[in-house]
Amino acid sequence: MAYNSTTVPSHHHPTTSASHSHGEGMHNMMMHMTFYFGFKNVELLFSGLVINTAGEMAGAFVAVFLLAMFYEGLKIARESLLRKSQVSIRYNSMPVPGPNGTILMETHKTVGQQMLSFPHLLQTVLHIIQVVISYFLMLIFMTYNGYLCIAVAAGAGTGYFLFSWKKAVVVDITEHCH
Amino acid sequence: MHFIFSNEVVLLFDFWSVHSPAGMALSVLVVLFLAVLYESIKVGKAKLLYWAVVSMSIPASQLTEETDQDSSGSDSPPVSTTRLRWLFCHFGQSVIHVLQVVIGYFMMLAVMSYNTWIFFGVILGSAVGYYLAYPLLSMV
Repeated sequence: MAYNSTTVPSHHHPTTSASHSHGEGMHNMMMHMTFYFGFKNVELLFSGLVINTAGEMAGAFVAVFLLAMFYEGLKIARESLLRKSQVSIRYNSMPVPGPNGTILMETHKTVGQQMLSFPHLLQTVLHIIQVVISYFLMLIFMTYNGYLCIAVAAGAGTGYFLFSWKKAVVVDITEHCH
Repeated sequence: MHFIFSNEVVLLFDFWSVHSPAGMALSVLVVLFLAVLYESIKVGKAKLLYWAVVSMSIPASQLTEETDQDSSGSDSPPVSTTRLRWLFCHFGQSVIHVLQVVIGYFMMLAVMSYNTWIFFGVILGSAVGYYLAYPLLSMV
């Protein structure tokens, strides 16, 4: 399974021709196992999404960059949504018999979301989207293509810089003014 | 594909090819160090953010006293310097975040080599890194 131009013994699988026998036209078992820089015949996630020219690689670079940025933004957005929906605190007081026959009011404070509330359903949907995008980014990094890996790293850094800036400022204000 | 015990592996880069038990031991140590570094970067980023927020809020409280005394527009230079300091702090944190993402992906790719020794190195390194670094998170 190791694709290399040098003669490195492929010790994992003794025969590489056997892997072609099943699955005609599924995908060519040409998986890179080390980092490389190239834009010829790069398969990206889905069959039919093949990069063959430098222009297509540039477009894929931009798309992966934006995907990684969106992933970081989604993380920050989920955190802020969770904080906002947890501001609503429910108090319910109930009378409790105390000593000497008096009646005390016991107050229960619940912070959080109910299961069927809209914020929790929204959090669940966003969580699924986040999990899927994180797996896509992992699979993109797994292509071992140097350009695409750099796009993932740069997009993550830029997304963190842009979105976490706002989050840090919000944290600063709320910690300072209260 | 399945996990195998082998003394031969090519890890991440073309030049990192291992053929001997000594080379495998060295590679496991390097991967272990990478995993320890990953866990400590996670803790370090949180501590840096805490220190940056604390150091930013202290001059701000001194700023409010100064603007009460000075009536002229002297509050613009201190505000811009704090924003510039915050920009540098945040840029440093973004660089650390990129490093964390890249090391995390490298560890994922190392496990993907399906070599059991490397996998043990990653797991042991994560355990040692977590054990050493996370108590520092609650220490103020």
